Amino acid sequence: MSVIEQPRLEHEVTLVELVDRVLNKGVVLTGDIMLSVAGVDLVYVGLRVLLTSVSALEEQR
Amino acid sequence: MIESPTATAWYVYGVVAADARPPDAVRLIEHDGLAAIAREVPLAEFGEDVLPLRLNDREWLEANVLAHEDVLHAFLDTGVVPLRFGAIYRDTREVERMLEARSAFFRSALVRLRGHVELGVKAWLVTPADPPASSSPAVGGRAYLERRRDQLTAARERVERATVIVADAHRRLLEVAVDGVVNRPQPPELTGRSDEMVMNAAYLVRRGDEAVARTLARLAPSSVDEGVEFELTGPWPPYNFVPADEEASR
Repeated sequence: MSVIEQPRLEHEVTLVELVDRVLNKGVVLTGDIMLSVAGVDLVYVGLRVLLTSVSALEEQR
Repeated sequence: MIESPTATAWYVYGVVAADARPPDAVRLIEHDGLAAIAREVPLAEFGEDVLPLRLNDREWLEANVLAHEDVLHAFLDTGVVPLRFGAIYRDTREVERMLEARSAFFRSALVRLRGHVELGVKAWLVTPADPPASSSPAVGGRAYLERRRDQLTAARERVERATVIVADAHRRLLEVAVDGVVNRPQPPELTGRSDEMVMNAAYLVRRGDEAVARTLARLAPSSVDEGVEFELTGPWPPYNFVPADEEASR
């Protein structure tokens, strides 16, 4: 059972959890932003980086 | 265009009401009662020619994804509309224009999200320990096949029971939350766990509301018996609950 009651787990979250939200969710503003990667699938980019690092970690074991 | 090495742009993390108080690292760019949470960033790092490379740099990505979350987290008490990573504007005037153009969208989003946070709920189907090797001597081919068939049947039934448990949990959580969404479970390559993720949901609740935690705690004993473990994360800025809006998303 890993329900956290008190104190809250304010910031100890996994990177996957973060990437899932920060790169994948939130309001997407395009058109007026200067960033040309706006159309890039950021979550794909982020997850690919994570996957690379996961396999790198496994190779180290 | 060749940028000077000291050229900067403005990275916008989210939108709040203009009376919010920002942490030191960022400033508020205000327009007509709304404010963009922004930070001046070097184009040498965030320019469109270099950013795609940065996104493939794990350390850079990790630091900046964390920074995005940290900044928004500082506004949990006041209410914040999170933007997705990577909203970068050339100057503060352009940020003001963005606020003006999407004023109605951000105002209604703030009304909905003010005082609310997101909680993450995941469920795992915990793999049972392998049953001890059968003590029956001299297992023939037929006995082997029967045992194998029983194992597969048991595994399928566990998944079916887990599906029912998770659906029931989601229904109960929706009763105590303002809203909820179910996202696709993350694959084991990402979670790093051998257990299968069978639920990846998020709920919008009033800041400080413990009803989701209480509901999960009530469900836990019977779920654990069936091999289902719940995990609660947060509170998060309400990433999963920004209103859909064609005007804002196009």
